[in-house]
Amino acid sequence: MQTTKGLKLADILITIVISIVFGIVYKLWGPFYYFVKPFGFHLDQLIYGMWFIAATVAFLIIRKPGIALLAEIAASSSEFVTGSEWGLEVLIYGVVQGLFAELAFAAFRYKRFDVFVVSLAAIGSTIGSLIMDYYKGYIEALAPWNLTLFFVARFVGAILISGVFASSLVKALEATGVTQMVRSASKEDYDQLDR
Amino acid sequence: MRWNISYRETWLHRTNPSLKLLVMLALFVAVLFVHNPNVLMNFSLGFLLLFFLYTGYPLKYLLLFFVPFFVIFVSTASSMTMFGEGTTTWFQWGLVHVTKESFLRGMHLGFRALSFALLGLLFSLTTRPVYLFYSLMQQLKLKPKYAYSFLAGIRLLPIMLEEFQTVRNALKVRGADAERGLNTKLKRYAIPLLSQSIRRAQRIAVAMEAKRFSNQTNRTFYYQIGFSKYDVIFLLIIIGITALACYTGIVLPYIPVTDVR
Repeated sequence: MQTTKGLKLADILITIVISIVFGIVYKLWGPFYYFVKPFGFHLDQLIYGMWFIAATVAFLIIRKPGIALLAEIAASSSEFVTGSEWGLEVLIYGVVQGLFAELAFAAFRYKRFDVFVVSLAAIGSTIGSLIMDYYKGYIEALAPWNLTLFFVARFVGAILISGVFASSLVKALEATGVTQMVRSASKEDYDQLDR
Repeated sequence: MRWNISYRETWLHRTNPSLKLLVMLALFVAVLFVHNPNVLMNFSLGFLLLFFLYTGYPLKYLLLFFVPFFVIFVSTASSMTMFGEGTTTWFQWGLVHVTKESFLRGMHLGFRALSFALLGLLFSLTTRPVYLFYSLMQQLKLKPKYAYSFLAGIRLLPIMLEEFQTVRNALKVRGADAERGLNTKLKRYAIPLLSQSIRRAQRIAVAMEAKRFSNQTNRTFYYQIGFSKYDVIFLLIIIGITALACYTGIVLPYIPVTDVR
């Protein structure tokens, strides 16, 4: 089975199943986002980070190249298929956010899985979403104080939700033993055998 | 998503799914570069017509689907209207500062969000996921291991929902659902749901690999999806709407503003 190049069917299916779970969360997050929005002062941006979580959680579980991108695409397409308020937009946002999260993991050659790297991936996704917003929403035309608030809220929210919360979620999952089944053997595992 | 609502099949349902997806994505990108509110208004109006006439669903459901999009329209438009920059002040109250420029920009954003939503809804209401993934494999050469994983994933959805109910009931019986913070509560649901899904996915993947679902060479497909005259009709109508929207938007504008930036 190791002879196939790239991701195996098992990796892909597990990523997609995880992403579908998050895709439903993404979908439900939409009405919540619009519930928070009228409170003003960009409080809604604090919860925006939830839309990046599929990439980080899936990568932390499977730990292979390409997983973050695939997870974010799969999550956004299942959000799209279940009838997102944003329609097609979520697909493109998903691709861009996944790509930037993937870049963060690639920067450490897919060798680090701590809170720092995951937060970096969350920041990456945030940058991706901001690039899309720049083209879509003329955000640069907001008043400066408002724009600063917008940026800070989105970055902080992303780090808290898709960085810190995601890694604590996967830690709890590791305790169930299910991650052992899906990860490929690490170098430490081989060292254990050699001993 | 499969709705249990009866609908009549229109030419939109019979268009090749890959073609439809590509055209919709192209339109999405095109709309990003439209800065003339008149053109955008006509464009959304054209797609609104397609939505109400040719998705084949009963009117009351169409109206129901449309409600969240209207909310999006209002909330997207209002944020820019109230906090955007501009020179011609209409209204000022504390931090809220409505100007002519920000109002027009806000309306433009509202229509943009509306047209994105319509593009997406037109696609998802008229495309069956199974056909979409078969078409992606045949026309766009998506690797079967990705396509079949998506299809298997979709099939797992009802099981996940059932499991969610089970977890909820189990927590209720133990009196564990009312205590502690949001973090604990989230994890109580997420951990069992995720771990069970991963285990199930792993088992299914092994079975699918054994049955050569990941095989790429010499594949045959249960559904053969190709092109038909409906694809020509689809392309013609989309081009027609877009061209008409641009033409009337420029020649017969509603408001004398051509660029909202």
